[in-house]
Amino acid sequence: MQGSNLRPPPCKGGALPTELTAREGRAYGRVPSAAVNRPTATAGRLLTAGCALLFAAPAVLMVLGSLRGRGLPPPRGLEIVPAAPTFSAYEAVLTLLPWTTYLRNSLVVVAVAVPLTVLVAATAGWGIRLLPRRAKHGVVTIAFLALLVPVTAVWATRFELFRLVGAVDTFVPLVALALLGTSPFYVLVYVWAFHRLPEEQYQAAAVDGAGPLRTLWSIALPQVRPITLAVVVLAFAFHWSNFLDPLLYLNTPSRFTAPLGLRLLQQLNPTDWPLLMAGAVMLAVPAVAVFLLGQRVFLHDPLHVLEDR
Amino acid sequence: MRRWPIATVLVALLLAACGSPGGAPASGAQTDLQLLLFGGPDEVAGYQAMTAEFEGANPDVRVTVTPVANQDDLLAKLATSFAAGSPPEVFLINFRKYGQFAAQGVLRPVQDYLDASDVLSEDDFVSAPLETFRFDGERLTCQPQNVSSLVVYYNFDLFEERDVPLPDDGWTWDAFLAAATALTGDGTYGLGTEPLLIRLAPFVWSNGGEVTDDQVAPGTLTLDEGPAREALDFFLDLSLEHGVVPPDVEEQSENAEARFMRGGLGMYLNSRKSVPNLRGIEGFRWDVAPLPVAPGGTPATILHSDAYCISEGTGKEDTAWRLIEFAMSTHGQELLAESGRTVPSRVDVLASDVFLEPDLPPASAFVFADNAQIARATPHTSKWLQVENAADDILEAMFYGRIDREEGMRRLVSDTAPLFGSGG
Amino acid sequence: MSTKSTAHRTAWSRPSTAWLLIVPFLAGMAFLLFVPAAANLGYAFTDHVGFGRPAFIGLGNFRRLWSDPFFLASLRASLAFVLIAVPLRLLAASGLGIALARPVRSNRWRRILVYLPTVMPEITLSLVFLWLFNPLYGPINGLLGALGLPEPVWFASGWGARWAIIVMMVFPIGEAFLVVMAARRDLPGELYEAASVDGASSWQMLTKITLPSLAPLLLLLAVRDTILSLQVNFVPAYLLTDGKPANATLFVPVYIYDQAFEFLGFGYGAAITVLLLAVTTSLVTVQLVLGWRWYRRRA
Repeated sequence: MQGSNLRPPPCKGGALPTELTAREGRAYGRVPSAAVNRPTATAGRLLTAGCALLFAAPAVLMVLGSLRGRGLPPPRGLEIVPAAPTFSAYEAVLTLLPWTTYLRNSLVVVAVAVPLTVLVAATAGWGIRLLPRRAKHGVVTIAFLALLVPVTAVWATRFELFRLVGAVDTFVPLVALALLGTSPFYVLVYVWAFHRLPEEQYQAAAVDGAGPLRTLWSIALPQVRPITLAVVVLAFAFHWSNFLDPLLYLNTPSRFTAPLGLRLLQQLNPTDWPLLMAGAVMLAVPAVAVFLLGQRVFLHDPLHVLEDR
Repeated sequence: MRRWPIATVLVALLLAACGSPGGAPASGAQTDLQLLLFGGPDEVAGYQAMTAEFEGANPDVRVTVTPVANQDDLLAKLATSFAAGSPPEVFLINFRKYGQFAAQGVLRPVQDYLDASDVLSEDDFVSAPLETFRFDGERLTCQPQNVSSLVVYYNFDLFEERDVPLPDDGWTWDAFLAAATALTGDGTYGLGTEPLLIRLAPFVWSNGGEVTDDQVAPGTLTLDEGPAREALDFFLDLSLEHGVVPPDVEEQSENAEARFMRGGLGMYLNSRKSVPNLRGIEGFRWDVAPLPVAPGGTPATILHSDAYCISEGTGKEDTAWRLIEFAMSTHGQELLAESGRTVPSRVDVLASDVFLEPDLPPASAFVFADNAQIARATPHTSKWLQVENAADDILEAMFYGRIDREEGMRRLVSDTAPLFGSGG
Repeated sequence: MSTKSTAHRTAWSRPSTAWLLIVPFLAGMAFLLFVPAAANLGYAFTDHVGFGRPAFIGLGNFRRLWSDPFFLASLRASLAFVLIAVPLRLLAASGLGIALARPVRSNRWRRILVYLPTVMPEITLSLVFLWLFNPLYGPINGLLGALGLPEPVWFASGWGARWAIIVMMVFPIGEAFLVVMAARRDLPGELYEAASVDGASSWQMLTKITLPSLAPLLLLLAVRDTILSLQVNFVPAYLLTDGKPANATLFVPVYIYDQAFEFLGFGYGAAITVLLLAVTTSLVTVQLVLGWRWYRRRA
C-alpha cells in the first residue's frame, strides 16, 4: 500500500461515501446476527436512549424556560411547558444589551482560536510521535506537568505578563491559549491517537520523499478524524463560554464577548428567569451547531452500511 | 497547508493591532480615562449618558465606561489590574470593600481636590457617607456617590386587607411583630429578610448595643451579651419563636424578593437597590417605611454607600477628579437618579423631585432621605469583609434552626475572632 | 528490518524536524503556564497583596494555612467531591461513549443529547439545576415525593448541597464522552470480528477487547478529570452555594478566589495554590502508578 496515495474520501455536503475510510468502518466489523443477544441488545438500546433523554433534560428546560412570559419566576411544580409561549424574552435580550456585538466578538475569538488549536495540537502531537523514545517521554512528562498547573496559579500572574506586552483590552490573551493547543490535554490525546497508526505507513511515505508535515496532512490526520472532531468541538466550547479571561482582560464594552453579556444580564434581575434562559439559549446554540457540523464533516457515518440493530 | 499558519498569524496580528491601546490615532493632548463600575443595563446606560456629556464639555478627555455584573467581578478585575500595575483611573466601589485598597495606600484621597473645587464643597453632601469614606478618620478618601439604607418595603394592599395599621415613623418592635403576626397565614408570611449581619445591625443599634467592641479598630464581635444579645434574640425569634418569616425549605424554594413581588410577603427588608426590580410589580401597591424602633431605644438604620475612588500612580489623577467633579454636580447626579437605583448623596438632589418622583413608587421616598441623617456604618477596616462573611454563615444556620442558639452564639465570637487580626 | 533503519536515516525523520513541530507548543507552555506558575510560587512566600513591594515572609503563609479552619474545610469539601464525582463522571462518559460510538442513525441524535449539557454555559446549567433541586417546586423532589421517599432540603445541609453539585457535574461530561467515542471509533474491527467468530458475547467483547484497548486513554481521562475537579471546580459552587452551607461546598478554587480577589490576599492565595498542586500531584501519581502496574500485569 503506497502511503502517499492514501487520501481521505471526498465528503460533499451530506453525500455519503460509498466506501468506508480505511480505518473507520472497520471499527465495527461484521458480526453475524445469530451472535447478537436480542433481549440484551434491546435493553441496552433502551437504556442508552433513556440516558440520552435524561441528559437532554437541562437543555430542554432551558429552552422551555426561555419561552415563558417576561418577568415570571421559574415554574412551580409540574408547570414545565409554558401556558402562553412567547419570544418576548429574546426581544428583551436584544434590546437590553448589544448582543449582536458580543456574539460577533465571541465569533472572532473562536475563528482564530479553534483552527490555531487544532494546528498546534495536531502538529505538536505528531512531532512528539516522531521524537526518539527518551525525548518523547520527556516531553510527555512536561505536558503532564503542565496539566497539573492549577488555573488559579496563573490567573493573576498571566495578567501581569500580558500587561507587560501591552495586550490588555485586546483579544490576544483570549486567543493566546491556542498556542498551547488550548490545553496540553488535547496534544496528549493526539499523541495517543497517532501512536495507534502503524509506523509502516509513514515510513513508506518517507521513502516516497514526503516531509513530516505532508505526512501529517495526507496520512495521519485523515485517520484520526474523530479525534479532530473532538478537539474542534471542545476547543470551540471552551473559548466560546470562557468568561473569566474576558472579564479580566477586556475593558471596552464594545469588545465584550457573549459570556460577559450573560453575566450582565444576570445582574439585571436574578428573578427574571425567561430573560436569563433566553440569553443562555443564544449562547448555547452556536456551540451545538458546531457539534452538528463537526459530526457531519469529521465522522460522516456510513448510514446505509451497517444495520440499525 | 503552508498557507494556514501564515494566515492565522496574520489574523492574530491584525486583531492585536486593531485592539491595542495605541491603535487609535493619538491626538496630542487627549487623556484616556477608564471608569470601572458595576450595575445593570439601565444604570450603565445612565453612566454612559453622564460620561458622554462630560466628554462633550471636556474634549480633551476620553472616558471608557467598563461595566461588570456585580461586586465580586468588580473586585476580581480591580485586584488583577492593581496587581499588574494598571488599575482603572476611576472606579466605583462599596464602602465595605474599599478598606482593603485604602489600607495599601493605592488611592489618591479626594479631600484636597474637594477643598480646592469651585463646583463642589463638602456641605453639598450628606454627612454619614462622608464619614465612612474617611479611611484615616480625617481626610476624605473617596467621593460618596449614593447613600442608601435599610428600609421596610411593605405590601400596602395586604395591610389593608388584613386590617393591620400601616407602619409609621417611630413605630416600635411590638407593633412590628404584631403586624408581622397578623400578616402571616393563609399563604403569606409577615416578613422576609436575609439573615445577614447587615440586616441585624440596625436592630442592635436601635436597642443601644454595639456589633463590635471598637468601630475604628474592631477586635471582636459583641453580639453574645447585653442589649446586642437582646436584639439578636428578637431577630432570631422572628423565625424560631413566632414563625413570621418563611422557614428554611420555603426560603430555599423562593427567595424573599421574588416572594414579595408576587404578593406572598407582608414586609421585606432591603436597601434601595431593590427598587428598580420592585417597580415591575403589577398586582398590588407597595411603599417603604423606616425600620421599627426598639422599646426605649432610638431609630437606627444601616448605611449602604458606593463611592468614586481615584487610583494612585496613574499620572491622571487630576483628570480623574474632573470626571468625578462633573458626576457629582447637581446635573450629573440628576442624570443618574433617573434610573431609580440610587439615593443621591447630594443634599439638593436628594430633596428634589427628580429623586422623590411621586409618580413612581415608592411614594414615601423621603424615608431614604430621612434615613440618610441617622444611618450608621459598620467598620470599614480591611479585614471586616471576612468577618462579615463568617458571621453571616453562622447567623443563617441559627436563623433556620440548623444549629442550636447557644452554640451559634459561642461560634459567632470564637469563629470570627481569628479573622479580625489575621495576617498582613 | 532494513526499511526501518533506512527510514531513520532519511532527512525528514531527524529529531530536529520533530522538535520544530513542537516548538510553538513548548513556547506556549513556557510563557502561559510555567513562567506565571513560577511567579505564583514565588509569591506564595511573600505577603503580596496585589500592590506595593511584597515582603518575603518565608513559610508564614503555610503556617497560617495549617491552622486555618476554612482551608481545612475546603480541602475536605474538594476531596469528598473528587472521590465521588470523578468515578461517576468517568463511568457515565465511557459507558455512553462506547455505547454511542456505533455509526448508526439513531446514535446521531443521542450523541447530541448527551453533549448538550456540556454546551450549556455553566451559569445556565447551575441555574437550571438550582430549580431542579428546588425543595418545594423542583421536579426532583416531586419525583421523590411521588415515590414515597423523603424530600430533602438540598442546599440547607452540607451533604445535601454536595450531592446536588455532584449530580449536576455528572451532566457536562462532553469532553470525556467525545474522546472515548472517538477512540472507540478508532479501534480496528478485525478484533471484534475474530471474537464473534469465536463465539464471544457483547459483554466479553466489551471487557476483553474494548476496555483494555482504551485503558491508557481512560487513565488519561481519569487524571484529567481529577485535576479539573480539584482545580477548576469553581463556577457551580460559586453560583449555587457560594461555599455554603457551613463551608461544605467551599471547594479549594473557590476559597483561593475569595482569598486572592475578594480579600486581596494574593500571597496567601498563592500558598493555597501550591498546596492544591501538591495534593493534585499526589492523587494523580497514585492513579498513574496504579494504572501503570495494572497495564503491565495485563500485557
